Amino acid sequence: MEINSNSDNQLHRFPQFKAVDAVRWIPSISAFDRHVVAAMHDPSASTSSIDVHSFTTNPTPTLHLCSTWTAPSRITSLSSPPHSAHASLFPIAVSTFAGSLHFLFLDPIEGVVQSEASVPMEKENGVRGFHDGTVSAVDLQVGGRECVTVGEDGRVNVVNIEQGGKVGWRRIDDSMGLVSYTAVKWGSPTEFATGSLGFGIQLWDQRKPTGLVSQFKGDWGQGTATGIVHSIDIHPSRKHICVVGGSSGTVFAWDLRWQQQPIMLSGIGVCESSYSPCESEVWEVQCDSHVQSGFISAPSTTILPTMMCSEDGILGVLRQGEEPIEILAENCAINSFAIDPQNPSDIVCGLEWESIAILTRLRESMPM
Amino acid sequence: MPGLLSPDGKESLVPFNLDLQKPSIHTLPHGLRPSLFRIHISWSRGNCLHVTCLRPPNEDGEGCGGKIAAVTLGGGEGGDLSDAQMRRVAYGSVPAFALLQSQKNVDIQLPRMVADTVRSQWWQHVLDYSNQIKALLGDAKYSPSSVIENPRTVLKPVGELTNLRAAWQLMEIFYADKHSLPWLPESLVDWLADYDSLISKVESTIHSKLTNLQKKLVNLQIVEDDPEYWEGISSALAVGWFDIVVKLLRLHGSYQLDQLDCRETENGLVETVAVLVSEMPRMRPNLSNGKLGQCYKSKSDFVKAWEKWRGHIAKLDCSAFWIQCANHQTRDGLKNMLQIMLGNINSITTYTCNWMELYISHFLYVRPLTAGFDGMLSLAQKCMDLKSISGSCVLTRLILGILGENTEVILAECSRTFGPWMVTHATELLTAENNEAELVLHGERYNLGGISIEELHRLVYAQILSSHTLTWQIAPTYLVSCPKQGLGFLEILLYKQPAHHYQMILKNLEICRLYELDSIGISVMKIAGMHHWKHGRKGFGIYWLQQAHDEVRLNRIANELFDCIGKSVSDDVFKQWEGLIELLGSEVGKAGGLEFLHKYRDFKRSIHLVQDKNSVDAAKSAVEFLMQLMKSPSTPQRFWLSLLHDSVKLLNWPIRPLLNVSQTNLLLNKLQELSMAKLHPGFCNTNLTSEATSSIRLALGANLGRAILEDC
Repeated sequence: MEINSNSDNQLHRFPQFKAVDAVRWIPSISAFDRHVVAAMHDPSASTSSIDVHSFTTNPTPTLHLCSTWTAPSRITSLSSPPHSAHASLFPIAVSTFAGSLHFLFLDPIEGVVQSEASVPMEKENGVRGFHDGTVSAVDLQVGGRECVTVGEDGRVNVVNIEQGGKVGWRRIDDSMGLVSYTAVKWGSPTEFATGSLGFGIQLWDQRKPTGLVSQFKGDWGQGTATGIVHSIDIHPSRKHICVVGGSSGTVFAWDLRWQQQPIMLSGIGVCESSYSPCESEVWEVQCDSHVQSGFISAPSTTILPTMMCSEDGILGVLRQGEEPIEILAENCAINSFAIDPQNPSDIVCGLEWESIAILTRLRESMPM
Repeated sequence: MPGLLSPDGKESLVPFNLDLQKPSIHTLPHGLRPSLFRIHISWSRGNCLHVTCLRPPNEDGEGCGGKIAAVTLGGGEGGDLSDAQMRRVAYGSVPAFALLQSQKNVDIQLPRMVADTVRSQWWQHVLDYSNQIKALLGDAKYSPSSVIENPRTVLKPVGELTNLRAAWQLMEIFYADKHSLPWLPESLVDWLADYDSLISKVESTIHSKLTNLQKKLVNLQIVEDDPEYWEGISSALAVGWFDIVVKLLRLHGSYQLDQLDCRETENGLVETVAVLVSEMPRMRPNLSNGKLGQCYKSKSDFVKAWEKWRGHIAKLDCSAFWIQCANHQTRDGLKNMLQIMLGNINSITTYTCNWMELYISHFLYVRPLTAGFDGMLSLAQKCMDLKSISGSCVLTRLILGILGENTEVILAECSRTFGPWMVTHATELLTAENNEAELVLHGERYNLGGISIEELHRLVYAQILSSHTLTWQIAPTYLVSCPKQGLGFLEILLYKQPAHHYQMILKNLEICRLYELDSIGISVMKIAGMHHWKHGRKGFGIYWLQQAHDEVRLNRIANELFDCIGKSVSDDVFKQWEGLIELLGSEVGKAGGLEFLHKYRDFKRSIHLVQDKNSVDAAKSAVEFLMQLMKSPSTPQRFWLSLLHDSVKLLNWPIRPLLNVSQTNLLLNKLQELSMAKLHPGFCNTNLTSEATSSIRLALGANLGRAILEDC
């Protein structure tokens, strides 16, 4: 373990000796015992797994492996709801390159996988029904009973798990590969947003017969770089605003009430006014609630501070009309991060160089 | 098999001994039902073989037709770090290496006058680099777990010790750390104190002796009666571990309160020796915490103090108190220690276990002012004659290479034991301020294809990094530091990355962007585009090809796509294409042949809006789109008729003609062209009836008449 600290943050790196594809926090029951789930891949043994670690800070920060669940293929996306409706078992959803989807139910005290359920992988006329190929993203509802999956094959499916562990799913849309979806996020119990190529964002509503409600095409300006959406986040207090991260350091907010004009937070060429913290892929974005309380009561047009991680190793916070704040600058890519929903000063990051980093913000950072 | 021509192997071209390497057998669990039809074997990354097993085709469709099994050959080198740990070292050394290279590049660009002064400070950068790398290789210092120290624990527990770290530190002492060159012997004393246990795994070392003694001490009541106690003290003294010597001496029975009275003289002698040991003059700037001795920076001060200290020992040796010391074991033990401190060759030879320890002992007590590689090498050879280690240790071989100033031997030892990582990174130490080594390593070799040895090792290391899915991304750092062939290798590396996952492609493109390899980036995008297209992800394929501005492929793809659409596009089908059309964007020329789709959609939309005679604006824009479509060369011929059929509504516009004379003529020409094309063999027939064609003809004729009237 390596420790880096400065006056603002305290950072601990934990080498894993396996590729870390995604990381998430699990809401804890006690204040001293927290868990981190990580999607791992070991190319030398060709195995992929979900590792559950317990994170303790007393006396020294340590990451202790509690349990491992072996996945049938490399994991593309990992989703854990911010809090659990059922206190007994905590659900997480895992999607894979092979096109499968798994629900794992964790014991939040021991950090052990108690039970699991998967979407059946039967074929219809030789074609796989659920997803044909990679499931690129999955998002689990707060209750943990329903999730939405999108794939490169252009399918959008809603999967629900019934009492007794039976898994059912229904197709919302299938573009037959003409559109590939790369990101998804629930906005409300019935609405969700998907991200696709060319900075396309689609808004879906399960109550509508066609599903698709509105879409946004990132066709801003002439000759600017277009790219792929990697991550979407919607804050529960701002359900009409999607925060989107994608290629070329682009982070923007899409307000459903002013659909034609995205609000640029970062990116090369597209927002000349403000400084862009990175120029490479923004792998993940998340609304950052670790701010002065004034923000929550701010007018609903204000974009909440957004945390992003990038291929060039930057973890930063973007604010509308302000200089971005750099929290961490690594020598390698930060592929994934998660803010602890109960303790927003703590952030877990999955680093390209086979390690997990846990960062604690000691106080409000100054702009870069 | 090479050279295996005859069964007895006598006529073979290359001598090949079957006994030398027994063939290793790997079992492949392919899980297929027996009777395999065909087996393909191909190399994958690194040491991995892909074996494809195929079952006969068309034989009962049950089960899968084939399987690919991966076999990993060999188990990696016998270094003392596992593959995963070595990967961690590889990652960690990237920033240090990159920083050093960029500093080098900055220095090259400096004006000459400045460059000379900068060059003289170069070793400082190398030392920083060396310290960063050393930190990766583990910490030799152990952080104590409990605050309370057991008085009987003489040997401090140590952290993880590896040959790799020991070798690195050794090279740092000799090549990078110019500060400590004046006190090189003392640096070696410190080095041995840390790594003595690694010198020999089979034979005993002073470290192993002391470990045994410590186990024994716990149960020993009267330590001074045990000969091992005195032997341990003398051995520790011989290699300069004074803190241990003093600690052991204080365990002597005469210190116990109940015995102090009757053993006063004995205790006095023990204490005197302990004080003398802890006051030994040492030619070094400072001592780390807990180590004993008096430090002297200047040679003259040191020599003065040394003479004085020797004088004290000689005086003590002839003292009358020895006769009063009743305990003969104490007396003999202490006398032995004095002999060691006086530099008695016989004594130090007795109490050291191998030549390295004897060598250190010589530095401490016999030739404390040894300097220069020549003197050190001859001393080392002398020690080896006195005490040899059976089964030479890698560290001692490395020391001999360094003392012999033989760069090739050092590289060979590093390469053989520690592999390409060590050679690549240690080269920076070797060339820090050593002109001869620089000549050897940087000279371009004809037999290596015009590259230097340094570049060769970097290329080899980069190849190893490239062969692993997790480390290929750090290989470019090393490849760009190779002036001759690095860029070529880098291009091959980037080309060869798999295109299955778009995240991997993006990581690959990021490296292209970083090193300004735009043409490679475009090729990667084309490869990715074709891969996705072939796997049915049409949108993704088109996206990559658009990014690569590959009009040729986009046009080819467009033709295939139009085949999927069929002859005409119904409104239902169009919904499905909406997403793709959105992706194509409205910019002209960006989508190649696919531009048609975008315009066709716009035309369809506006014609849909034309409901009655009031929607003039919609009708006008529909005419505009129609004209664009008909003028564009990218509009496929097979859509012409259906376009014309759709526009009958516009031609028969009630109030006034919407199309002027030239526009109508254009449409007439197209219709003519179509009827001519019917005679061509490759014509794609539409399912529009001849009635439809004649209705179009009629509408066009009528419109032309009205347009001529309008113009008049």
